Amino acid sequence: MRKKKVGAIGIKSFAMLAVLGTAYLGTANQVTAQDVTTPYPNVVPTKMAPIDQYLMTDQGAEIALARSAAPESISRDAEVLVLGRHGFETAVKGKNGFVCIVGRSWTSAADADFWDPNVRVPMCVNAAAARSYLLRITKIAELALAGRTLVQVNQAIAAAIAKKKLPPMESGAMCYMMGKQGFGGESAPHWPSHLMFFYSDTDPATWGANLPGSPVVAMSDPTEHLTQFVIPTQKWADGTEVR
Amino acid sequence: MTRNQIHSIFLSAFVVVSALIATRPAAAQDPNQLYPTMAPVEQYLMDRDAEIALARSAAPDAISHDASVIVLTRHGYETAVEGKNGWVCWVGRGWLAMFDNPEFWNPKVRAADCLNPPAARSILPYACKRTELLLAGHSKQEAIAAIKAAIDKKELPPLEPGTLSYMMSRSSYLTDNGGHNGPHIMFYEAANDGAAWGANLANSPLMSVNYWYISAQAYPQLKSFPPLSVFLIGVDKWSDGTPAPSM
Repeated sequence: MRKKKVGAIGIKSFAMLAVLGTAYLGTANQVTAQDVTTPYPNVVPTKMAPIDQYLMTDQGAEIALARSAAPESISRDAEVLVLGRHGFETAVKGKNGFVCIVGRSWTSAADADFWDPNVRVPMCVNAAAARSYLLRITKIAELALAGRTLVQVNQAIAAAIAKKKLPPMESGAMCYMMGKQGFGGESAPHWPSHLMFFYSDTDPATWGANLPGSPVVAMSDPTEHLTQFVIPTQKWADGTEVR
Repeated sequence: MTRNQIHSIFLSAFVVVSALIATRPAAAQDPNQLYPTMAPVEQYLMDRDAEIALARSAAPDAISHDASVIVLTRHGYETAVEGKNGWVCWVGRGWLAMFDNPEFWNPKVRAADCLNPPAARSILPYACKRTELLLAGHSKQEAIAAIKAAIDKKELPPLEPGTLSYMMSRSSYLTDNGGHNGPHIMFYEAANDGAAWGANLANSPLMSVNYWYISAQAYPQLKSFPPLSVFLIGVDKWSDGTPAPSM
């Protein structure tokens, strides 16, 4: 989930999502938060940390964390990508069209946390999102690992979209982010269990998002021509209650 | 309740949530026996103001306040309130579930629903067409044939992307089963099943049903209809902001 915000709507939505996260995180989740491993000091670097800090040395742990984003009935047959020194690589081939990864700071945290090496955000995208949304995630990871700054990454992605080297969102593109574990950065450390739906340039009002009482939160990114809708779920991927 | 039991009572998109929250069926009798034919039309009608209020209760006021509202008359749905945000709120009746839903003619069903603009343009016309045909006295088979003909002639629109509806009213009556109700959001996708979204799998928050039929055995012509699945996700609050039971 890219948290890069360009407009006021995006900033507001990000705050709303953070509030959602707080609201949904009860006592049980505080325990989870304590269990999250943060191998490096929680001082967010303003430039790239050594690449090793973004990698997970235990590939099995990364695969397990990636799969934790969705119920086992979905993730067990999903493809799994893990982060290498130059980008995401296939670690497990899947057979149901879903792809699970652990997002890093460049794609899965707020702009302020762009270089935070502690960020680990598991997600499982469906086949439609794997063919559209995920390509942006993997491209951004490659650019960041090559040392590109946030501004350079944004420019490169916008240019790739404009030149149609990156496709628009495919109809029905969505992902599961229902894992208890992970760390979303200092701005929003722990996300609520939720689903996301990806559209190209869609007015959030079309879904009734970001309105009082609405269960739907939307984030718009005009640069990427991307609208992301978030709907919290009542259970974690393992079936336990969120509240 | 096991997953299989839940699926066994997937009678309509309207009843999915109540199936999820049901601890036991409230109605011991076979609904096919309870509702074999259409009841007198008066049993499906409501006080107009009460119907408008119920329709609007499907979504938070921030959405439904500016929505159009349609109400049921003896001949079909008609606009009661002109809106200005593109949303349309209404109260569905039992016959707007799948054609082989045993509660198809259940006169107690009152399914408050607010459709977003794409759904208002591409789902609501089907519901209105079906309602007009049935209230005019056509059989289910005749209604199915007429809808298919309208689809073939492109008199009914294709599904638009991003169609969804809010069903968050605490006053709806969706089914005789269980608690009769539960707040949820529904999505409409051009698919025959829920696999693309991982629906109906263990611990998935998404459930899906075919829009047209449960099995199509009784109405095989429905299998030639455009693929259309309804996806559903439960939410934790009613439209008035009060907490709802977990599903």
